[in-house]
Amino acid sequence: MDFLWTEADQAYRERVRDFLRRELPKNWPDIARHGPGSREQTEFSLEFCPKLAKEGLLVPHWPAEWGGSDRPAWEHFILGEEMWAAAEPRGAQYMNVNWIGPTLMRFGTEEQKRIHLPTMAAGKAIWCQGFSEPNAGSDLASLRTRAQRDGDHYVVNGQKIWTSYASLASHCFLLARTGSGLEKAGIAIFLISMSTPGIEVRSIPSVVGHGDIHEVFFTDVRIPASARLGEEGQAWSIIKYSLTNERVGIPRYHLSAIVLDDMVDELKRRDEFESAVVRSRAGAARAACEAARILVYRVVDKRARGEAIGAEANLARVAVIEAEHAVTDFGLDFLSDTFSGQDFPLFQSHHERAIVSGIASGAAEIQLGLIARHALNLPKATI
Amino acid sequence: MRIVPNEDQSAFLAALEQMMGSPAAAWHASPGWARFMWSNELDEALEQNGYYDCAAEETLGAVAAAAMTYRLAQLPVVVEGAASSLVRARFLPALPRPFAVIEGDLGKPVRLLPVAKTVLRIAANGVFAAVLGQDAVEPVESLFAYPMGRLAASRVEWTLVDASELQVRHAWRTAVAAELAGVLKAGLDAVVAHVTDRQQFGHPLGSFQAIQHRLASAAVKIEAAHLLTLKACQTGDEVDALTALGYIQDASTKIIYDLHQFMGAMGLTLEHPVHRWTYRARLLRTSMGGSAAILPALAKRFWIAE
Repeated sequence: MDFLWTEADQAYRERVRDFLRRELPKNWPDIARHGPGSREQTEFSLEFCPKLAKEGLLVPHWPAEWGGSDRPAWEHFILGEEMWAAAEPRGAQYMNVNWIGPTLMRFGTEEQKRIHLPTMAAGKAIWCQGFSEPNAGSDLASLRTRAQRDGDHYVVNGQKIWTSYASLASHCFLLARTGSGLEKAGIAIFLISMSTPGIEVRSIPSVVGHGDIHEVFFTDVRIPASARLGEEGQAWSIIKYSLTNERVGIPRYHLSAIVLDDMVDELKRRDEFESAVVRSRAGAARAACEAARILVYRVVDKRARGEAIGAEANLARVAVIEAEHAVTDFGLDFLSDTFSGQDFPLFQSHHERAIVSGIASGAAEIQLGLIARHALNLPKATI
Repeated sequence: MRIVPNEDQSAFLAALEQMMGSPAAAWHASPGWARFMWSNELDEALEQNGYYDCAAEETLGAVAAAAMTYRLAQLPVVVEGAASSLVRARFLPALPRPFAVIEGDLGKPVRLLPVAKTVLRIAANGVFAAVLGQDAVEPVESLFAYPMGRLAASRVEWTLVDASELQVRHAWRTAVAAELAGVLKAGLDAVVAHVTDRQQFGHPLGSFQAIQHRLASAAVKIEAAHLLTLKACQTGDEVDALTALGYIQDASTKIIYDLHQFMGAMGLTLEHPVHRWTYRARLLRTSMGGSAAILPALAKRFWIAE
């Protein structure tokens, strides 16, 4: 067992931090406060990610063939921690780096890889994830958006909702039903250009930053059959692979731990960090962040050693959610004034991210169900 | 970063599993329905085979000792591994074991005292040790599932231990965290087995989400605590030890409640072993002041400059 970073790991982290210090503009906090899905942050990412790419810091863990440099999984994760701690200057593009790109590499045709991977590796692609529907959120497999085969094409009709980044995305990683019945086996994945005629995007106002939540309507959207990723009916096994990466994809605990430090600094400045009650809650929040960190590290360690990842990812995800809430609740309880006004943008944006964490990419309760089934081997749920 | 045991640690833990499979480690009812079962036979076997000295082996280290403590705590019988492997092996290898540890004032009931050969006292003014002679300990009836006893102070001669109080305190916190995570894990396993078998309303209890989610939540806490404990052993960092102990003590109240809830009336009997773990956990969660002391101490140590 070895819980310490190597010198090479530490040097790599410093390199990423140096780059961020050098390249993030002075007004970055003003841009970042609008949220990762905002127009401001998305447009910024289209300038920033090409710089990261040039420095070899966008897709270092990808194979050289697709613009990466075959760097170890741990470096990719260190990079992710530092980016998230810096309020994610990659905006929506973290998804390309973490899971859309790797999923295409594993399941895509040569043509699909050739079309999509170079723009991702260059930092110029914005994707959205067309998963949830009005009647298929946690129960994703009951989705109804239909892709009807028509010769060399599919015709897509249906509706997606709560879609992050949709208004500015160039492409959509879309789940749609090609077969009959409400079974997982009837779903396929399509890589769709968002400029295809028949796609309409509406923004939904939200409490979690601008531009994060949309409805996307598909009306007789004609797409070539070559846009299908994998076979008809293969979607579920493909996204299971993708989500294993996605679920520990955002190192939320890392920013939470930094925000907690800032909250304690503010309390000390006010002479309000003396009581045992406040310290006890701060200690508990700190421990929650470290618990999340170590469970996530175990998943990354498995990935780094090329082992299959099972329920460990679900355990980690639950701990990450608990940590993020422990920190934001600590702030709300002891620094409630900082959640109004302009003086504490980080506490506010962290809060906005925190209330998403237990819902996006599979609700906390879905994770608990998966742990019960696959880590504890309990019987399938009846109620 | 490598969060799996090295080759030697794997071999060590595999051999430990063999020892844990012996009849001396197995569940059977205690004579006279005592609430605990001290296994002198297993404890001695582990000592004679050098298990409790593993922390001194370079390739095993305190990490292996904590992993062993976590596993031994999962037995339905009690042995004394925590203090022996994580405190004695590093600071007082010459003193006879089993050890008992007094964390504060004298005169209160202390776990393992009736079976201990050495008692260690961690006090504000230093660490003291005493080899226990005849009549030094008076056994005490207790709700907790350890042999409990009170020290007859007049019959004990204390010697100041040549070790930093901070280091010993640190090692002991890690040991308690490892043991608490272990007893909770065993309780969880027992309850998972029960709710898998036990049918009500025509379904196994474990198929109800109300039960699944709470057990899954317990699993998250226990797994994290176990890993935090191992990390604290490697780094030797006081903050890491406080983190591991504070985290699991804080989480344990709810876990213990849930374990008994889902075991139902079966868990109220002495015929089922679940109480052996929950009534060890109930004592361990108060150790070193409990989370009410450990979490503020963590905050002070981490955020207030010395």
